[in-house]
Amino acid sequence: MSGYLAGIIAILSINIIFAYGIFLAVASGQLNLGGVGFQAVGAYAAGLLSASLGLPVALTLLAGAVVAGLVGVALAFPILRTRGVYLVLATFAFAEVVAGIILNTDALGGAMGMSVPGYVEWQIPMIGAILVALLVFYLMATRFGLTLRAIHDDEDVSELMGVSIRNVKVAAFGLGAALAGLSGAFYAHNFGYIEAQSFNALVSIYVLLYVLLGGTQTAWGPLVGAAFFTLLPEVLREVLPALKDFFITLFGGVPDGSRPDESWRFVILGVLAVGFMAIRPEGLVTRTMVERLTFRRPSSRFKEVTE
Amino acid sequence: MSRPILKLEGLSKAFGAVQVIDDVSFDVPQGTRMALIGPNGAGKTTIFNLMSGVYTPDEGRVIFDGEDITGLPSRKRIGRGLARSFQNIRLMPHLSVVENIMLGQQSRVSGPGAMIAPLGRRSRWRQEAEALLSEMNIDTYTGEVVATLPYGIRKKIEVVRALAAKPKMLMLDEPAAGLNPSETAALRDFLIQISETGTTILIVEHDMSLVRSLCDRAVVLNFGRLIYDGSTRDVQNDPQVLEAYLGSRHAEEAVHA
Amino acid sequence: MLFLQQLVNSLMLGSVYVTVAVAFTLTIGILNFLNFTIPTLFMLAGMVGWALSYWGIPFGLSGPLPWPLALAMGIVAAIVVSLIVERFTFRYLKTKYGDSTEHAIPLVSSLGFLLIVENLVRIGYGTEARRFEGPDANMTMDVGGILIRIPQLVSLIITILIVIGLVQMMKRSRIGRGLRAIAENPDAANILGIDTKRIVPVVFMLTGMLCGLAGALFAVNYGEVAPMMGEDIGAKAIAGMVIGGLGSIWGAVLGGLCVGLLELMTVHFFGADTVQIVVWGALLIVLIAYPKGLLGHHSIGKGKL
Repeated sequence: MSGYLAGIIAILSINIIFAYGIFLAVASGQLNLGGVGFQAVGAYAAGLLSASLGLPVALTLLAGAVVAGLVGVALAFPILRTRGVYLVLATFAFAEVVAGIILNTDALGGAMGMSVPGYVEWQIPMIGAILVALLVFYLMATRFGLTLRAIHDDEDVSELMGVSIRNVKVAAFGLGAALAGLSGAFYAHNFGYIEAQSFNALVSIYVLLYVLLGGTQTAWGPLVGAAFFTLLPEVLREVLPALKDFFITLFGGVPDGSRPDESWRFVILGVLAVGFMAIRPEGLVTRTMVERLTFRRPSSRFKEVTE
Repeated sequence: MSRPILKLEGLSKAFGAVQVIDDVSFDVPQGTRMALIGPNGAGKTTIFNLMSGVYTPDEGRVIFDGEDITGLPSRKRIGRGLARSFQNIRLMPHLSVVENIMLGQQSRVSGPGAMIAPLGRRSRWRQEAEALLSEMNIDTYTGEVVATLPYGIRKKIEVVRALAAKPKMLMLDEPAAGLNPSETAALRDFLIQISETGTTILIVEHDMSLVRSLCDRAVVLNFGRLIYDGSTRDVQNDPQVLEAYLGSRHAEEAVHA
Repeated sequence: MLFLQQLVNSLMLGSVYVTVAVAFTLTIGILNFLNFTIPTLFMLAGMVGWALSYWGIPFGLSGPLPWPLALAMGIVAAIVVSLIVERFTFRYLKTKYGDSTEHAIPLVSSLGFLLIVENLVRIGYGTEARRFEGPDANMTMDVGGILIRIPQLVSLIITILIVIGLVQMMKRSRIGRGLRAIAENPDAANILGIDTKRIVPVVFMLTGMLCGLAGALFAVNYGEVAPMMGEDIGAKAIAGMVIGGLGSIWGAVLGGLCVGLLELMTVHFFGADTVQIVVWGALLIVLIAYPKGLLGHHSIGKGKL
């Protein structure tokens, strides 16, 4: 397998795990805009244990998830008393504090970053992503998943139905944090080098957009969203130069063969975010769509009744 | 009269300077069908919210099945057997019909083991929910997402969701609002069917013909005060009730119906 | 004396944060909307102002413009973009189910706009910081041994005047009363005959104006603009807003000044590297332990997003 393809599969797998982490929080109606904070905790926990104690990768991956999950649960209790704007701000602030602490801690390499031994190839993250996807699909089919989606739809009524809102939310947020941490641990071992700058606020924004644009109603959403937005830049890498040349020719110029600015990709992500929110705020994959595609339940019967 | 399943004792609630509920006391006898009526803004929904724990009363007590539940968190009341429906349909729009019913079973679920057991076809919870739906004759839509269903069906599903908790008492907030006469008649038969299984029903309703054909007893609220407590047969002859309705939108309905 | 000098410095520093914090608090207080385009609008005004004073109007329509005119047009650009944001965040927002994803629509759209505007600026103007040739930022005057930089003093005065004007507008004018009614209860405001569709753009206009002004003042005071300049200011403005209390204009003023003070003290005692931890940490602690803030109302921002 070529190095290019291996790199894409690795980053795709990492993004899928990360997206599932944010999905669990968002599916229960909690907008987690601090995902990168948990990813950084997982990455540095794995990196540190691997570099200083020389633990095997299997253990450091687990440790990355567990440490991030514990931080998530510890944060969830006070944070989840707040809702709405407060929750968004608190998660965002948390990620900034984490980045600040990493920058100021010499043991973590500060601004220099740290190199992580125990390189894993693309196969391991891919297996991880498949297992995580299966886990989330399973969870969404349980009563836990049912209450998660109920809270997303109407928190007050869920409470009156007897759902323990706090327990479900803390579990979803904490498990999500653990998955984000796991994605960070995979990142650390796959790239072999981590630095605070790669865990900046924009990453939190990107992953939240993957999840929301993919769709939060089913476990397919984050899979499709993360895959689409990880592969889109690769496709654009080919398409954009051609597009640029086309436009230059259109306006009577001569293509100079230079590559267009990398920033265009993020402009396109932004446009997609705005467009989706205006036209299809429930995201790309909805429940009805999944049911149509899998032919699980024909809707014709209901149409006969109403018409 | 059988012993009361629910007792309200001197309930009062104010929002700011407005006294919404003022010293209201009444009993709901076990196994009966009872109506809570009154003009718009009389405080009927507030009474429901006080009973289900959405609000805490400023004064007074709520006693359910012999226990004081005034301070019990709303989440735990449904587990004691007090379930409700809502004035505006509050089903979870993105859940399917059967999932909404399974959510209604939540109060009977205990422990993390039950939370992470799958709710697939062989799950006893799903089978029970499907059985309940077919018992209530709305099993045509089981897998449909609720948001796409017609209004009348959703109204009915909301009642069934409350039933899924196997409540001792069911509180229904305007279940017939927005239904056409044939749907209303179907709803009445449906409620009678539920009541015959031993479930007590307290219903807030504007449709007086439905109230009279369904309930034997009624309590009437006006401006947060209880003005009538007696048989539905005599309610429209009571001078205080007539006065409360006169000039209001429902005056004619109350007099002629 | 050194302490007093630092206090004055922090007051000046804080005044930059105050204007942006007021923009944040206004949108949250009235629309319950955390508008992530605010730091971008701040940056846009500075960058457009710089581009016009350095290159002039594009396509060779003019030579380099004098700096006051260039900055004024930068502010106009911020207002225009803010109104475009309004079209795509609130104009199309119809809640159908009232679930939490729907409540997040404006916030997510604003994140999208943040990416669009910031990256377009990078494409158009490059990524590096640019020198802004304005008035001499280092003109100082000596008041009893304390040095005060004149452009900063002017900025502070402008900021105070703007805030007073804004508060008066909210209190007295018809638009202000309408905005307060929307803040209280959007549904009731509609029933009371307030035309929300026409009045909501006012919030975005004010947002664009405040951010644009802050960006212009920043360019003059620091003599430098950069596509990244919004991030740091945005962070500190959010911290100021939270500390002051969500939705309170005077709270944002107080909070912005507190953050300025906090920042200078942190730099003084722990060094510049720890500012990020201290400012965001303070915000996190206030959010968890005292979400009301110094002057805020507890109800704001509490509901579903």
